[in-house]
Amino acid sequence: MQLKNVEELFFPDGILYHKEHAWAKKEGDLIRVGITDFAQDQLGDIIFIELPAIGDEFDGDDEFGSAESAKTVSSLYMPVGGKIESVNHDLEGSPGLVNSDPYGAGWMIMLKPYDLSELECLLSRDEYVSLLKDS
Amino acid sequence: MKGTLFTLTGCTRCKIVKRFMEERGLTYEEKDIKAEGKEDFQKFYTTNRKSVYRGPEGVEFPVFFDGVEIRQGLGAVIAYLHSGKKLDGFVSVGTLHKEWVDGLHVSGGDPAFAEEFLAVLRYLKGNNMKLKVDTKGKNSRILRQILDEGLASVVVMDVVGPVDLYGRILGETVDVHDIRESITLTSRFSEYRFQTTVAPLLEQDGRARYMTPEEVAQAARLIEESTGSKKHPYLIRPYNPEKAADPRFKALKPMTPQEMFGYRTAAREYQVFADIEKE
Repeated sequence: MQLKNVEELFFPDGILYHKEHAWAKKEGDLIRVGITDFAQDQLGDIIFIELPAIGDEFDGDDEFGSAESAKTVSSLYMPVGGKIESVNHDLEGSPGLVNSDPYGAGWMIMLKPYDLSELECLLSRDEYVSLLKDS
Repeated sequence: MKGTLFTLTGCTRCKIVKRFMEERGLTYEEKDIKAEGKEDFQKFYTTNRKSVYRGPEGVEFPVFFDGVEIRQGLGAVIAYLHSGKKLDGFVSVGTLHKEWVDGLHVSGGDPAFAEEFLAVLRYLKGNNMKLKVDTKGKNSRILRQILDEGLASVVVMDVVGPVDLYGRILGETVDVHDIRESITLTSRFSEYRFQTTVAPLLEQDGRARYMTPEEVAQAARLIEESTGSKKHPYLIRPYNPEKAADPRFKALKPMTPQEMFGYRTAAREYQVFADIEKE
């Protein structure tokens, strides 16, 4: 499978990025989380996503689930610590939504953060793109 | 037999399976997971995820599913299509790629089905595959046939321990003559290797222990006695207690590199090229 160059991938402004390729978007007092266009491109066609249960709690950088394609299994990491408020059940039957719309219909979890100031440790769009180009 | 064959675009192994099915008039539905079969494979995977084997390079293809049984990889799918479950002990999903097929276990199956197993090996070799077969020493008559017909490119024999522990380690009665014969035959292949895992054993009081260096040395001696040579490729492999099913074995400490050197030193008295398997 041909992987795309960073320039060919989409990284919207207005959300924050985690070094392990998750994104976080503040919505009121909750955070919506998914994986980036880079992560879904690396995985290829996603065939299964394991998500946590509502009420589960994780620290920042903890693994909260996994995404599986035919070629690989990738862990999913919490951008910040918090409690799972909801999960995207649409991904159970249509995990490909993460490939087709990683920042929209392919979102994964909503969490209530322990400490909103943890968001300050995340990367901006430009910082994340620089990280990808340097790696 | 009817079923679904999940394939990948451009997968040579998938083409060999398709040809086999067509030659035998087996009806099947092909679903290319990169094309029209993408959604069907995703549904199949979600339902059967726990039963689908993933190797170092992901899901092993082709994947055959007849509604009950799942078989993956060239060898295992051909064996299942050829003889159903009769060959399950002989053939499992392998991990080698390109022109190689492994997961072929001479000692793993019922010798009553030897001819079916050999027919599968012939088919694979006839399709320009190189076969890596393994044995723990049983079914030397099958190994002889493989040697006589030139079916295997590489043979790996697990000499599981010295004669007096052999059956205990395998958990079954063994015919020592059969084991010795397999050792002799293995050494006659153009490419081969012997290996011994430092296996755990249960004492009568239920205590678990590893084979001692002296016991591994006696396994190396068995190779020397059976072949008349001390100069065979021979690997000593540490046991991984984390993977043990028996909790008494799981509780054992992993062998240290220093301890492994003790085994190598002891084994070199009988097999001068004895070495420790690198991770």
